[in-house]
Amino acid sequence: MRTETEIREALKEWIVKANGKIQPEQLNDETPIIEQRIISSLQVMDLIFFIEKLSGKSIEVESLKVGVFRNINAIYETFFHVSVA
Amino acid sequence: MTDFAKTVKKLCDASVKDYINPYSFLDWPEALDLEQWFTSPELISLYGTDVYERLTDAEKKRLSFYEAVNFFSLNINGEKSLVQGLAERLYRRGNDEITRYLHHFLDEENKHMVYFGGFCTRYAGKVYPDKKMVFPRDYEPGEQDFLFFAKVLIFEEIVDVYNVAMSRDERLVPLARQINLLHHRDEARHLVFGRQIVRDLFAVHSPRWSDETRQRVRDYLKGYLASAWKEYYNPDVYRDAGLEDPFEIQEMAFESAGARAHRNRVSKGCVHFLLENNILDQEPAL
Repeated sequence: MRTETEIREALKEWIVKANGKIQPEQLNDETPIIEQRIISSLQVMDLIFFIEKLSGKSIEVESLKVGVFRNINAIYETFFHVSVA
Repeated sequence: MTDFAKTVKKLCDASVKDYINPYSFLDWPEALDLEQWFTSPELISLYGTDVYERLTDAEKKRLSFYEAVNFFSLNINGEKSLVQGLAERLYRRGNDEITRYLHHFLDEENKHMVYFGGFCTRYAGKVYPDKKMVFPRDYEPGEQDFLFFAKVLIFEEIVDVYNVAMSRDERLVPLARQINLLHHRDEARHLVFGRQIVRDLFAVHSPRWSDETRQRVRDYLKGYLASAWKEYYNPDVYRDAGLEDPFEIQEMAFESAGARAHRNRVSKGCVHFLLENNILDQEPAL
């Protein structure tokens, strides 16, 4: 099972590769990837497949709220963070 | 009467003539034997890969069933947003010339979902969900309308190549052939309409767009073509067909040279149209 750091790093690597121009040091966990057009709306489908692969869970796109892909923090909190009651 | 108005009238007349009742036209068997072909083997997303070659004949046929469910599902998902977009354009000011045909277009898209949904829910118990998302943004005048019809055209042109091939493939279960044929009969008209309206909208609006907008539109359409194709490689299909490591299979199949050549071959007509009309300025990487 991957640690939080490994998941965040994997997401960062994916985004850098998908963008093709940005350097890893230009991206942090709060960089607004949609707003700054680092990832296009058309690439979100690929990102969803990647998150499903990483998390091992299927994503119901229709139930997603606006903003869940805004940055790495939001992606981690939405799809990977396990809340402790 | 303009040439476009004449075309619209012809298409409307043909739609009225070809009208069928989607609820009584097809006979739906109680159950289907999955050891039959539901998708032409050459159109299965894994065709030509080592993973495919290692499958037994029965496993290939089972995979062909889930590939058909995926093909029908991606049609339903595309048609849901298409119906929404068409409905928004009904009776809109300036659309007098096309509104009559938009009624047929809407009606026919709804029928297609009845066929596709009927198959998926009866025999697979589900429709594969849509993974696409659209984020709101600002558009230049005419850009949103043009992109709507251009996306419809790209989507339908690819689908139609599959429909034509499978409607003629005698290896397929008759029901799968019939659904492909019914879809193609209507789509042939939608494609005529689509090419005409996309050409016209681009000719009217694009000269007024900035260079940046024209480039954005071109980049978007190239990206849309690639993402439309990605839906044909669905990990859920591979999982349901009993294959291990579905995400690795998806990546391997999509990146394979055979699959790339297949995508280029199937997209050829559509890409040629977009290049010929200067809508795209270079071949997209598929």
